[in-house]
Amino acid sequence: MKAHLVRNLRDGRFQALAGAMVLAALALVLPAVPLTRTGVSVLAVVDITGSMNVRDYASADGRPASRLDTARGALRELIAALPCGSRMALGLFTERRPFLLFTPIEVCADFAPLDGALAALDWRMAWEGDSRISAGLFRAVEMAASLDTDLIFLTDGQEAPPLPSAGGPAFEGKPGAVRGLIVGAGAYALSPIPRYNDRGREIGFYGAGDVQQENRFGPPPADAESREGYNPRNAPFGGAAATGAEHLSSVREPYLKTLAGETGLAYVHLDGPGGLSVPLLAAATPRPLPGRLDLRPFLGGAALALVLAVFLLPTLRALSLPRALTLKKA
Amino acid sequence: MGDTLARFAVDAPLVLWLLPLALLPFRASAQRVVPVAAIDAGPADPLSRALGWALRIAGCLALAGLIVGIAGPYRRGETVTRTGIGAQVSILVDRSGSMNETFAGRQPSGAEESKAAASRRLLGDFVGSRAHDQFAVTAFSTAPMLVVPMTDRHEAVRAAIRAIDRPGLDYTNVARGLAMGLSQFGPQAANVSRALLIVSDGAAVIDPRVQGTLRAEFARIRPNLYWLFLRTKGSPAIADKPAGEDTPQAAPERHLDLFFKSLGTPYRAFEAEGPEAVAAAIRQIEALERDPIPYTERRPRRDLSWVAFGLALLGLLLLVAGKLAEADVRRGRGGLPQAAEAPSERIAA
Repeated sequence: MKAHLVRNLRDGRFQALAGAMVLAALALVLPAVPLTRTGVSVLAVVDITGSMNVRDYASADGRPASRLDTARGALRELIAALPCGSRMALGLFTERRPFLLFTPIEVCADFAPLDGALAALDWRMAWEGDSRISAGLFRAVEMAASLDTDLIFLTDGQEAPPLPSAGGPAFEGKPGAVRGLIVGAGAYALSPIPRYNDRGREIGFYGAGDVQQENRFGPPPADAESREGYNPRNAPFGGAAATGAEHLSSVREPYLKTLAGETGLAYVHLDGPGGLSVPLLAAATPRPLPGRLDLRPFLGGAALALVLAVFLLPTLRALSLPRALTLKKA
Repeated sequence: MGDTLARFAVDAPLVLWLLPLALLPFRASAQRVVPVAAIDAGPADPLSRALGWALRIAGCLALAGLIVGIAGPYRRGETVTRTGIGAQVSILVDRSGSMNETFAGRQPSGAEESKAAASRRLLGDFVGSRAHDQFAVTAFSTAPMLVVPMTDRHEAVRAAIRAIDRPGLDYTNVARGLAMGLSQFGPQAANVSRALLIVSDGAAVIDPRVQGTLRAEFARIRPNLYWLFLRTKGSPAIADKPAGEDTPQAAPERHLDLFFKSLGTPYRAFEAEGPEAVAAAIRQIEALERDPIPYTERRPRRDLSWVAFGLALLGLLLLVAGKLAEADVRRGRGGLPQAAEAPSERIAA
C-alpha cells in the first residue's frame, strides 16, 4: 500500500494537480495586495472666448462642431479615461484671467457632477470679451500651483486684441514648476468667427472691420517708418487703417508652442473630442494613489495551466508518438 | 429569469471563451492508463463506473471553476430609491469683486475674514450636514456660471464651495443668475422641497423685461427663497428707504427685496453683518427645510469569484484524492515486494 502511495506521490500529474489545488485554495484565502498606482491631479482651464465658437471640427455624425464643443468632449472623455482616484478642478478663461469653478473633484466617485459641470461649459459664461491668452495662461499656472495640481490649458491661442509689436507679457514664474499641457484647439486653416447678439443668438460672422487688426497701444513697430503716410507725431503707425486676418481664426500653434516653452508645459494639438489622456499622463506629475492588486486571476491562471497540462499532455504525447515512430522508420 | 441573469456579469468576458476546455476531462483522464487485454473480461462494476464519472465531473468542475473564477464574476450593484429628510437646494453665489472684502468693507488683514471666506466656511459646513440633501451651485457676476449641477455628491459640492473665496469678477447681475439658479432644479417630482439660496453682498436692478420671465419661472417651480444678504457696515440695509427718490437705481437692495416679496413664493431675507449672523441664518434655513425627499442609494457590486474558486477547489480535491488512491494492479502484485511489508496502511483518501 505504501509503495502505491510513494509511487502516486512521485507522479508528475499528481504533483501538478496538488499544486493547482494549493493555488486554488490560496486564491480563496489571500487578500488583495495593496500597491500604489499613478494618477493625476489636474486643473483644466477652458478658453471660452469668442474664437472658441469657430466651427472647424467635425462631430461624429459629420456635422461641423465648434472648438468649445470639441474641447468639452475631450475633457469628458478624459475624466472617463483617467484612473480612479485622479482629481480634476475646472476653471474658465476669458479676458485675462482664469476663474476657478471648483477645486479638485475625484473623477470616479463624483463622476456625475463633474461630467455635468463639463457638459454645461458655455461661451455665455464669459464675463468679458477680451482674450489675452498669455496673461490668462500665466495666471492659470499660478492657480494650478496654489491648488497643487497640474494644468491643462485648452485654447486656440488667438489673442484679442492682438499683441503689441513689443510682444506680450513675460512669464515671471519658474518654468516647469507646474507641469501639464497646453492643448491647441482649432484647425490649421482660417475660418470665420461666429458673432452673437446681446441675447445670445447667432447673427453671422465677424467682418474685417469688426475687430482690432493691429494693437496700436504702446510704441509703434520697427517697420512703421516705411509705412504709407507715416508721421512720427500724427500717424506713428502709418496713415492707412490696419489690415489683417484677425477676424478669421486658426489654431496659433507656433505662438502656443512658444508659450509652452516659456512656461515649461508640453504642447499637444486637439485632434478631436478625445485622446488627451495619453499626453496628459505623460506630461503630468505622477501622483501615487492607493490601489489594490487582485492576485486571484494570477493564482487561478497558474492553477488552470497546471490542470490543463495534466489533461492535455498525455493526449499530445499520444498524438506525437506515431510521428516519432515514422521518423525512426525513415 | 432574464432579469436575474442580467444582474450577473464578469470583468473579463473574453476569458469565458476557454470554457469548452472544461469538457476535456470527458475525453482524457488524469489517471494512469493500464493496458488491459479485454475490458469485457472483468465483471461489470457499478462502483468503478460511478467513480469514473465522479472523476470526470470533478475534472470538469475544476476547469470550469478556474476559468469562471479568472473571468471575475460579480453581481451588479444596484440603485434603490428611498425616502429621507432633506431638500433640493440651489445655491446662487455672488462672485463679484466686493465679496472679497470684509464685512467692514476693507481688504481682509490678519485674522479678519472676507465675506467670501466666511460664506465658504459656513456653507461648507451646511453642505453635508444632512445626508440626503441635494445641492447645485451657480455663480454669478456679469454672467451666470453653472458650477455644479444638482447632485447628492456632497464632496463635489464642497469642492465648488471651496472655490468661492478666490478673487471675484466685476459686476453683480442678479437677474441672469436667478434664471440659471432656477433652471438647476430640473423637471423633477413636484413634491420635493426646493430651496433657492442666494448669497450676495449687494443687489442690482432687475430689468423690467426680465422680471416677467422670472416671475413665471418662480410661479412654476415654487421654490422657498432665501436671501442671505451679507451687508457691509455702513451700507444701506434691505429695509432702508433712500433719502431721495425711491427708485430701484437708488436702493437696489430694497427693490430686490420688494420684487422677491411680490413673487408669492415663501421668502425670507437674512441680513448678516458678520460671520455669526451668517451661521445663525444657515441654521435657520436648515431647520426650515425638513421635508421628505426621495434619494437613490447605491448598493455596491458583490464579488462572486470565491464561489467559482471554491467549486474549482472541490473538483481539484476529488481529482487529487483520485490520484492518491490509484493502485497499479500489475505492479503492486509482482514488481514491488515491499508492498507486502505494510499491508495495514491504508490510503487516507
